[in-house]
Amino acid sequence: MTFEELIVSGALCPFKGGVIDSSVDTSLPLIALNIKTLKVDVAANKQVRLVVAYTESCQAVVEINIAPNSSLELVEVYLADSYANITVNQAENSQCKSLVALLSSSNTTYTYSMQGRNAENTFDALFIASGSEHATLNLNTRHLVSDCRSNSLVKGISAGRATGEFHGLVYVAPDAQRTDAQQQNRNIELDNSHIVALPQLEIYADDVRCSHGSTVGYSDAEAIFYMRQRGISEADARRLQIEGFVQDVVSRCNMEPVCALVHQAVSDKLSKI
Amino acid sequence: MLKIENLHASVGDKEILRGINLEVKAGEVHAIMGPNGSGKSTLASVLAGNEKFTVTEGKVTFLGENMLELPIEDRARKGLFLGFQYPVEIPGVTMANFMKIAVNEKRKYNGQQPLTAAEFLKMMREKSAIVELDSKLTARAVNEGFSGGEKKKNEIFQMAMLEPKLSILDETDSGLDIDALRIVATGVTRLKTEDNATVVITHYQRLLDYIVPDYVHVLYKGRIIYSGDKSLALKLEKEGYDWLINDYKE
Repeated sequence: MTFEELIVSGALCPFKGGVIDSSVDTSLPLIALNIKTLKVDVAANKQVRLVVAYTESCQAVVEINIAPNSSLELVEVYLADSYANITVNQAENSQCKSLVALLSSSNTTYTYSMQGRNAENTFDALFIASGSEHATLNLNTRHLVSDCRSNSLVKGISAGRATGEFHGLVYVAPDAQRTDAQQQNRNIELDNSHIVALPQLEIYADDVRCSHGSTVGYSDAEAIFYMRQRGISEADARRLQIEGFVQDVVSRCNMEPVCALVHQAVSDKLSKI
Repeated sequence: MLKIENLHASVGDKEILRGINLEVKAGEVHAIMGPNGSGKSTLASVLAGNEKFTVTEGKVTFLGENMLELPIEDRARKGLFLGFQYPVEIPGVTMANFMKIAVNEKRKYNGQQPLTAAEFLKMMREKSAIVELDSKLTARAVNEGFSGGEKKKNEIFQMAMLEPKLSILDETDSGLDIDALRIVATGVTRLKTEDNATVVITHYQRLLDYIVPDYVHVLYKGRIIYSGDKSLALKLEKEGYDWLINDYKE
């Protein structure tokens, strides 16, 4: 199954940008496939599901504005080497839930600005770099006003001679009191590969709840031994361990039928490392 | 079933096993006791094939085959089970998936067809009842967030699923309260047949009230220095190891 096939079968609705208001049918997820410039305005009180996918090398600029009381569910998949810049501005009481699968030699920057009170941002991402790839994920979560919540989970795997980078910044503006910002980053470094992890907090308000954490681990020899002692082959044990590692991110996708495709793409990528 | 002859093993430059000899026959239960650091867990690990240790000398025959030449997974598929002292957590891998792969790998190795989904679920239900393991746990990731007691019950559940010929239980009783100990030990006893054998490594006689051994061995400084019947465990409980190990102290 491919994105093209999902469009042809009518499961996804092609989208080239513009205002999404009551005149736009949003019963199906929208998809922007290999689009270089995408500007999206989600009108007030709208629930939108959007897929942005790169199956061909691309340099892309995406700008999304979410009006008050609206929600956006965003799935971004990088299957070809791309350079992308994604900006999302959130008005009050808006929600944005992103799932990113970075499975190629891509460099991507996400900037979420919570500009209205009580906005909520969830970001789940997975990057996998193998061979001689270089995957970079930059995340800027900006709390510009008070009473907003953000929760980010980024997991990375590097294998072969690849490099995987995560740069994460949580910014809390001086007046953004009662901010709740959580950012977690977990990585596994295999073979002769490298992980670069740089989580940062910049906090200028005093009444906040912020946490961040970042780890880089290796294949767990004890777990491999445990699985093999139960009769599971070494190759299967390694595969299970890595699949288990990415499971919580991948399982957070609930936009069918795109999730099946994301699962497949992740499995395909993992089978090559 | 298992014959260990003059087994020596090291970790790095340090020799831990210094000439183990032991024979275990079908239908038997052996208990291995001994002070901390005498090599009990190392023996279990070496038999299972843990690559942390290097076998420097000796021979191990399991069901007529030179076991030291078999990879870890083939030893398991052939019927060797190690109950871990510290069961390992595997995030994101469900117990059900883990067991399904393990059971079917074993069946494949032994020339059997894989179980159907229905057969497998039925087996999971039946076997989890043996150790009173909450069936909800099988939907969770392997050992993740399990309590100490649940982890040990889970080891015996896996043993029940895999129906091993030889089970080595490494301090399965450590960290268990009285009820969990009874459940785990009763589970082991229920799995006992004329065709399989069990080696229990323990510090405490109380486990042997449930799992009655045919032989008790004392391991000290990498060797079995004394063997007896179940009364030896009671004597050790009362008198400690001093009367035995004095001659061996350096």
